[in-house]
Amino acid sequence: MNQAVYTKTDKSCDLPSLIAHVHPGDCLGVGGGLSSREPMAALRELVRQAIGNLRLVGSAHGIDVDLLCGAGLVAESAESYVGFEQDFGMAPNYRRACETGIVAVRDGCCYTLVQQLRAAIAGLPFMPMRSVLGTGFMAMHPEYKTMICPYTGEELLLVPALKPDVAIIHAQFGDAQGNLHIEGPPVTDILFAKASKKVIATVEQILPTEQITEKGVTIPYFYITAMSEVPYGAHPTACYPFYAYDRRHTKEYHRLASEGDEAFQAYLQTYIYGCDSQAQYLETIGGMDSLERLASWQQGAEVWQALYA
Amino acid sequence: MIYQIARTIEDGILAFHGFGSPLVQLALHLAKRTHAPRMVLVAGATYGVNPNPPFLTPTSNDWVMDRGAECHLDIEELFDLAASGRMGRMFLSGLQIDRFGNLNVTRLGRDRLQLKLPGGGGGCNLSCDAVHVTIWTAAHRTTPDAKGRRRFRLVADCDFITSVGHRTTDGKTRKEMGYRGEGPDRIITELGVFDFDDFGQARLTALYPDVEIDTVRENTGFDFPVSESLSVTPMPSAEMVEFIRALDPLKIHEREFKPEERLRSFPLV
Repeated sequence: MNQAVYTKTDKSCDLPSLIAHVHPGDCLGVGGGLSSREPMAALRELVRQAIGNLRLVGSAHGIDVDLLCGAGLVAESAESYVGFEQDFGMAPNYRRACETGIVAVRDGCCYTLVQQLRAAIAGLPFMPMRSVLGTGFMAMHPEYKTMICPYTGEELLLVPALKPDVAIIHAQFGDAQGNLHIEGPPVTDILFAKASKKVIATVEQILPTEQITEKGVTIPYFYITAMSEVPYGAHPTACYPFYAYDRRHTKEYHRLASEGDEAFQAYLQTYIYGCDSQAQYLETIGGMDSLERLASWQQGAEVWQALYA
Repeated sequence: MIYQIARTIEDGILAFHGFGSPLVQLALHLAKRTHAPRMVLVAGATYGVNPNPPFLTPTSNDWVMDRGAECHLDIEELFDLAASGRMGRMFLSGLQIDRFGNLNVTRLGRDRLQLKLPGGGGGCNLSCDAVHVTIWTAAHRTTPDAKGRRRFRLVADCDFITSVGHRTTDGKTRKEMGYRGEGPDRIITELGVFDFDDFGQARLTALYPDVEIDTVRENTGFDFPVSESLSVTPMPSAEMVEFIRALDPLKIHEREFKPEERLRSFPLV
């Protein structure tokens, strides 16, 4: 099937309509990475709409995947890493869901994911690579094949093209037709956008096209299916230059998730089911005081450092 | 330990640290500041080249860690560099490390999943492709449980192979597997340093001044040969220690060590 191009001139919509593009059972590529630029507001809306049975693919992730697991929406994970690094360690909901068998464990590797997405982007059925042979991933992924290279006689690994049903991305800026400007590391967002059947995006600010062009277009509009302007849409992960990682909130999240399903349900009730909108969520996390604290990183290294204490 | 990791880094190579590895992040900055000024330092998670972070954060995909970077690689470029043989050294760890340097960060339990670990990121790919690999762990020492059993970090066999060392589980060498990289050449732990012998097996080559060989034996899940030139690990200078402390005011790297390990102290050069 050919991939679509999206040419609607105004793709902006509200968050519920944006998330309506995701269907139960979809293969989902979540943008961002670790504690940065995760499309958290979009994922919270996904939790509110309870769109489940999802299959996740991705590179290095944390609270985003853990949240979806904690809300019971994930059937399978092919992420290459899900955790909270040196900060809080393992991802509690993800671990529980994997260990109880609710989530099928199909871990991937970063380069394998890259090659699979590149095959999809180029319209090819597979990509060859050298690594992975001899590891436990071969038994975990029966779809990986090998071939003898007709040029060199080497044995190569083949990984099939991967076209996620939906990519969900949060960017700093976009225009109404969907051109996105990402500041800082794009992680796999660009590959996800080009390989996926649909791309839905949230942005901190919608700007006129001239201003986006001036900043530079990271992902061209015709890959984007729909978008919403959602300020603080990555909270509690960072979306610089607007705001830093909210370590305080993440700590509370991790504490409740670690206590077990019941405690985590209270988190979901407070911050997701109990908040109909992003505005209400921002009030619940502490309103202007919290937001100003997270924007304070710009005042210098000392203030920035205090956000991690 | 940071200094021991730094000493494995050659000047003039491209070296990459992954995420979740503050000891390695500090080692790379220390090496670049001392004996390896021409190293191309690529930061994990941001893929920034030669950054100069004001302080270490507990999360690696953070603009703090990216300050001062000269340019950025994208994810495909980073892994292409390794696949094409340009990545001189990568640093890997595991909850299980076997005698050949195979690592497990995926799962504990063979038939039944007992513990789901976070996963290996791109470590699997880079263990095959990077020219050299430094393995490290700050949790070599194990505490016996009530029945006297130890859950080793350095194990006889990994429950799952996330990234590859010198021999696969069925005994094949890296050459037979067609990997381009040469594999791990050091395991740095808080007890000592291993290199690898011609068979690809970990061999004890150095001990910290306060560690006996028997301590390493009782904390290791496999028998290992000992180098004829077994030495005491060299110690960093006071300036180096000062540099590390200044770069990590939040003491993020100490989180990798058990409280009793943090109490150890050594005479500086």
